[in-house]
Amino acid sequence: MSPHRHRDFKLDIWGVALVLPLLLVPLFTTSPLLNSLTYQAAIGVSAAMAVYVMLRMGLLSFTVPAFMAFGGYAAAMLAKSGVTTNLLALMAVSFIVPALVAIPLGTLVLRLKGVYFIFITFIFNEILQLILFETPTLTGGSDGISGVPPATLFGIDLGKPALLVVVTVVVCIVATLITLAVTQRWRAEFTSIEENETLAESLGVAVWKYRTIGFVASAGVSGLAGFSLVNMLSTAHPSSFASWSVNSYIAYAFVGGRGTMLGIAVGSLLLIVMTNVFSAYAHLSAGLYGILLLAVMMAAPSGLVGGVVQLVDKFRSRSRPAAAAPVQEKQA
Amino acid sequence: MDSLISTGLIGLSLGTQYALISIGFTLIFGIMGVVNFAHGGFYILGGYFAFTATTALGMPYVAAVVLATLATAVLGYVIEMIFVEKYVADHLATMLITLGIYQIMTTGIVLSYGAEPAEFRFPVAGSFRGPGFYVPYANLIVFAVCAAAIAGVYYLVFRTRYGIALRAMADDGPVARAQGIPPAKMFPMAFAIATGLAGLTGALVTPILALEPHGGESVLLKAFIVVILGGLGSITGAMVAAFGVGVIEAYSSVYLGGSKGALALFVLVVLILLVRPQGLFGTVARKA
Repeated sequence: MSPHRHRDFKLDIWGVALVLPLLLVPLFTTSPLLNSLTYQAAIGVSAAMAVYVMLRMGLLSFTVPAFMAFGGYAAAMLAKSGVTTNLLALMAVSFIVPALVAIPLGTLVLRLKGVYFIFITFIFNEILQLILFETPTLTGGSDGISGVPPATLFGIDLGKPALLVVVTVVVCIVATLITLAVTQRWRAEFTSIEENETLAESLGVAVWKYRTIGFVASAGVSGLAGFSLVNMLSTAHPSSFASWSVNSYIAYAFVGGRGTMLGIAVGSLLLIVMTNVFSAYAHLSAGLYGILLLAVMMAAPSGLVGGVVQLVDKFRSRSRPAAAAPVQEKQA
Repeated sequence: MDSLISTGLIGLSLGTQYALISIGFTLIFGIMGVVNFAHGGFYILGGYFAFTATTALGMPYVAAVVLATLATAVLGYVIEMIFVEKYVADHLATMLITLGIYQIMTTGIVLSYGAEPAEFRFPVAGSFRGPGFYVPYANLIVFAVCAAAIAGVYYLVFRTRYGIALRAMADDGPVARAQGIPPAKMFPMAFAIATGLAGLTGALVTPILALEPHGGESVLLKAFIVVILGGLGSITGAMVAAFGVGVIEAYSSVYLGGSKGALALFVLVVLILLVRPQGLFGTVARKA
């Protein structure tokens, strides 16, 4: 078991805590910029958390946009059909539908090794885009589903601009809590798979079971992010779930630090704020993300938060050697 | 009948293009274990280099293609030396590094050439008319050049000492090193060969299809499909799968329509993987 389990758990809690203040933004300001940043951050954090769940097992999954589409479209269809616009029902549907799709898909892709898994998850996004285009009666095809009614809760219409942002942040908090629950409940199993899958199997860890749990949880969390996006835009459109959008979520995870949820939250918030601050250079954002990815992978593979944690550990270990010496003498 | 033969010939032409791209991609993976997410970027850069050479420098098209091939090979060599070499042992790191490089490439192209597709035309127009069918000369020329390049790669990899060394590195890296084969020299050259092949394909194909900054994404997708089907690291597998994919894509596009054709191809990939997860020619990866 990792000696830093307690510390990592604290950092994960901080990751959840970092998202909570976003609730205050729409309640205390009407600034369009701040509200826009808030909902973008909420959606970005949710999607990056889905990437994080798989990274806990050392797996890089490109399926996040596809499962976002499943969740977003499922919620849009339910709301537009008139059956219900209840927020809780929409959230449940946007979690459950991708999770159910992930079960049979997982049996296919999770037995593939390393890069095959990555390739198939990459291709899966493309397959889904084509399915969306080829099923216009169900999904609206290239036009998508527009005019999706906003969610409601106990009769309260949550369609006002401020409430839409609040809903997005609430969904993000739920997604973050689910991520925390899953990654903490099965932390030991995920870590053993990440460190050495063969050893884990030989010790009796049912690798396929935990990979499936992680994959299903990642799908569900992605679905919640998709619902947030659709609810915010009142539209479910294929372009919202383009396959290369996963590059942004991966960048958030790695720049912030993929080892803890705090890293995910920090990376997402930082990059989304930077993209908006430098909005005049929006056409350069992909290149800037690329430079950041390069810089992080080459200079600080643990990301910002991981890098800071390592520095703190180094500093602490340097200030401890004198205290350790008497113990060693006693043992000798 | 006309369209049956024409479509088949176009499928073969597509197959040679996919083979050139995928051989390079699988070569890098087989020898270095690197999944090069920037491979599509080198393809599109080859197109833009050739475009610049013909329009801005006034070079003849043939010279422009040669220049584009060399330029992408040199760029690949430099990128491998600076960014990839040190992290070759970490597959996740190299994936993300090459992903970052791809994003920098496409942004650089947008800054230099704009986001709109460039007007880049193949210098030879017209079609060859055979008994009951016709094929554009452009496709025939691209087919011939790609086939020659594939033959060249095959000769290099299977008939030269350098190629034997490359295959030894792909088979068993530590043993190859113990035999004195230096990875520090082999890896950059292998990367350069692969990116040069991608650049060559881009210079040849983009005048026929389209030259636009994000054109590399679909190419990367095709490379993924071909190497999955053929088996990662297998050059023969990539060749066979490339032709299969090219022909299936051509026929399904003509007889099923664009999106349905692509969907049929993806479903086929998934079905094959259900039966044979390591691909047609891949070996079952040992877990240890």
